[in-house]
Amino acid sequence: MMLERLRRRRSENGGGPAAGTPLSQTRLIDPIPIPPGDPLETVLLSAGGPVGVADLELVSGTLDAVRAAGVELIVPLIGQGELIGALYLGPRLSDQPYSSDDRRLLGGLAAQVAPAMRVAQLIREQQAEAKERERIEQELKVAALIQQTLLPKELPSIPGWHVSAFYRPARAVGGDFYDFIPLADGRLGVVIGDVTDKGVPAALVMATCRSMLRSAAQKHDSPSKVLAEVNDALVPEIPAAMFVTCLYAIIDTGAGDVVLANAGHNLPYMQTEDGVVELRAAGMPLGLMPGMDYEEKRYTMGSGETMVLTSDGITEAHDPDGEMYGFGRLMARVARRADDMVVALVDDLESFAGPDAEQEDDITLVVVRRSHSAQVSAMAFGAGELLDSFAVRSEEGNERAAVTRMAEAVAPLGFDRRDLERLQTAVAETVMNAIEHGNEGRPELEVGVEVWATDDVVSVRVTDQGGAREIPEPQTPDLEAKLAGLQTPRGWGLFLVEKMVDDVRSTSDGSTHTVELIMKRKGALR
Amino acid sequence: MPSANVTMTVREAAPRVRVVDIVGEITAFSEEEITRAHEEAARGGVDAVILNFEGLDYMNSGGIGLLVTTLIRAQRSGHRLLACGLTDHYRQILALTRIDEAIEVFDDEASAVAAV
Repeated sequence: MMLERLRRRRSENGGGPAAGTPLSQTRLIDPIPIPPGDPLETVLLSAGGPVGVADLELVSGTLDAVRAAGVELIVPLIGQGELIGALYLGPRLSDQPYSSDDRRLLGGLAAQVAPAMRVAQLIREQQAEAKERERIEQELKVAALIQQTLLPKELPSIPGWHVSAFYRPARAVGGDFYDFIPLADGRLGVVIGDVTDKGVPAALVMATCRSMLRSAAQKHDSPSKVLAEVNDALVPEIPAAMFVTCLYAIIDTGAGDVVLANAGHNLPYMQTEDGVVELRAAGMPLGLMPGMDYEEKRYTMGSGETMVLTSDGITEAHDPDGEMYGFGRLMARVARRADDMVVALVDDLESFAGPDAEQEDDITLVVVRRSHSAQVSAMAFGAGELLDSFAVRSEEGNERAAVTRMAEAVAPLGFDRRDLERLQTAVAETVMNAIEHGNEGRPELEVGVEVWATDDVVSVRVTDQGGAREIPEPQTPDLEAKLAGLQTPRGWGLFLVEKMVDDVRSTSDGSTHTVELIMKRKGALR
Repeated sequence: MPSANVTMTVREAAPRVRVVDIVGEITAFSEEEITRAHEEAARGGVDAVILNFEGLDYMNSGGIGLLVTTLIRAQRSGHRLLACGLTDHYRQILALTRIDEAIEVFDDEASAVAAV
């Protein structure tokens, strides 16, 4: 019907609409957007067809602009009750006013054009969205890569301590990080932090902050000085409106002393016999303003005590009803003992958030536990009665002499045969290791042996001159690997030492390295 | 290098079953002796070689390494390697290092021979 009418009008006019009219007389009207809520929108939506501009009496900036552009007729394009667009028509080239026929024709055209326009609009929106999604995905990948590269690959292995960590990024990777920094004298630096903001910018700030912390940690023995230095260094580097919350703790793994400072990060919790202790230390987040002071908090961890460091991705997780996990729940969970605090906390959080929950923010946990046996060793180390002290030269086979002399020294303590044999094997392997690895088999170097006893334990200290060298890791024996030549019995020796005695501790001072073997005296301790 | 404080003598316990009696220490220094004894025990082809540790008074991780080496040689020659006469302590060490999964350990020589 539409085409029929069009043809009729054309024939009436004796040709096409522009027949006989020079093209120079036509003019393109620039698009004039109609903001949602403009009175003109309401008029166009309710008009039911083309609207003559001259008939309109409206207070509308858009209408003023439309008039100024010389528009005479507005043809609304409406789809599903929404104004999709409008055709602005100037005066007819024939100088005749638009007839009612013209208006009907244009109205009919509009009704056909509108759905096609809508489809085109939707496709364009979708394409733009897809492009944006792709860009965001790419950025997330880069951010995740930066973060994963910088998080510790291994956990510190310290006799008498158990350190564990958990990190699970949210889909939109936040700026959580943690770090372990080995320090002199058997101390360990522990870092947990969170960069406000997400994605690549946060990951870059995290990387910068991590390097600054690592460098400052080697310079200062005080966590507050470390944070103050990093803060001053970070302020000029960090983008506006970004900052970093960060907790830094130094643990003396010998005495169990913890000193920490906190730049606005979640409070650390200490699980003790008497419940959970919050370790409060005031301080502003890093990167906000220079010259900040950080309070220091001290705590001595006893055996069996556990320090729990968290990020706000845990406390700010929500359940399906929108309730927050919160500090109360976290504290209650920490208060209950668990074989593995990390697993216990993650399980608790997951059952709170529900199975379908999408993780809102990065979740980071660092748990440091002082094991029960560490207390035993702390009592024994350097305390009690020195039963014997001697040295052997670093020649292979001399471990036999050391073992014989050690056995004579502990004979009055009345160890049963089984325990004595275990202690002998532990001492033999430790002395062998000191000879071959610590002293590199140089006969002029000595391996020192001290045998100490308290009422509770016997402690054998083996010292070599290899303090500056890294201590090899014990290897869990794997016969297949050994048969394939991938393992050596030396690594097995260290593994055996740990199995033979109740505790093994080692300390280095840069020149010497001492391994202390602790065995409980039966009946003295449960 | 100190000498190997060990002697190993080979005898036949049953047809195609030989026993190596170990007296003394097994450490890294025992390599020559255990290589020689194992070769002697395997000579001419056997079903099993039994290491008799009744006379053992010391073994360290170096010695454990030698047991693994000997095990490899036994597997190559196609005979079984068994052990007997270990004290509880060294039995435990073979268990901890999981050597006992590859070298079968028996209380005494008679049960080892019977198991072949």
